[in-house]
Amino acid sequence: MKKDLEHSFVELLERHQNIIHKVCRLYTNHYDAHNDLFQEITIQLWKAYPKFRGDSKFSTWMYRVGLNTAITLYRKSKRQISTQDFDGVEFKIKAEHYDDTEEQQLKQLYTAIHQLNDIEKALVFLYLEDRDYKEISETLGISQVNARVKMNRVKTKLKTLLNS
Amino acid sequence: MDELEVLKKDWNKQDQRFRKLSYGEIYKMILKKSSSIVKWIFIISLLEFVFWFVISFLLKGTSVSRKVEALEMDHILIPLSVVSYIILIYFFYLFYKNYRNISATDNAKSLMENILKTRRTVKYYVIFNLVALVIGTVIGTFYALRHSPEFTEKMAIATSQDDTFKIYAGTVIAIVIALAITILFLLVFYYLIYGLLLKRLNKNYRELKKLEV
Repeated sequence: MKKDLEHSFVELLERHQNIIHKVCRLYTNHYDAHNDLFQEITIQLWKAYPKFRGDSKFSTWMYRVGLNTAITLYRKSKRQISTQDFDGVEFKIKAEHYDDTEEQQLKQLYTAIHQLNDIEKALVFLYLEDRDYKEISETLGISQVNARVKMNRVKTKLKTLLNS
Repeated sequence: MDELEVLKKDWNKQDQRFRKLSYGEIYKMILKKSSSIVKWIFIISLLEFVFWFVISFLLKGTSVSRKVEALEMDHILIPLSVVSYIILIYFFYLFYKNYRNISATDNAKSLMENILKTRRTVKYYVIFNLVALVIGTVIGTFYALRHSPEFTEKMAIATSQDDTFKIYAGTVIAIVIALAITILFLLVFYYLIYGLLLKRLNKNYRELKKLEV
């Protein structure tokens, strides 16, 4: 019974692992910290899995647990060094696919996003994942109106950060 | 074009850049232990319950407890002990109930509230112990002074020299200082442990609450 549960969970997670990677991408800026957070989210998902009833999509359920872990449950790794190492490495890999201007713009955007607070990052994450305001408000526990207002403020803040 | 729209375009393309973890690697991860703040709060809180509980046991059979026994305070001590054990059980029940309510699948705000609620229960338990410590010391001192031949002798001399106020004031000041040092030490200790552990959670919780104003 437990083996079946483990098997179904690991299989589902293997398929949807990019969601966790993306959460880690926004909340960490170092390879080791990324791996630490990935592991903690996986553990939290596994702990919560027996209660997963399947009435929501596995991915939707992952957003919630993933963000909760990143915002609330995870104790920041001591190894999290405030460098831009991660961005640098990653953008070198994909340099061949993009022209310099776009690459530069994206690099600045990720740097600006890393300067947002945890709640703002969660809003940006859900926005980038194309979640509607109903889901954003339900995931964070705020009203839809407030989610919309805050999202607009985050966009303005990002503009300011990019121009500074 | 909106900055986030630029990022959105890239966001879904980045999938191939992440290192794909294999079935075996994910399986190994689920066997590992969590190091979440909830786990740490649970461990620290349990230690607090154990700490105050053990202290009362450690005092038994020591010279302090023999002195207390000599004061013939059973008519006060027994009901107080019964009440404090009932309160301990009640606190533990509350703590466990709150702990069970913490779920990573709740929305972010409820999750934070449930963690803070669990933490608050332990805080009240600590306050209860500190208040009990103060009341216990006051009652204990009162009884000790009334039964101490040395103190009775001192008081007799003091009365003859009109120094009663000095003796009482000295005793009260000494007790207040000792209690203040103990409480201060414990408060600094709690502030450091929970302050550091919950710093980020409190900050994020305030941020979410701010959105409601």
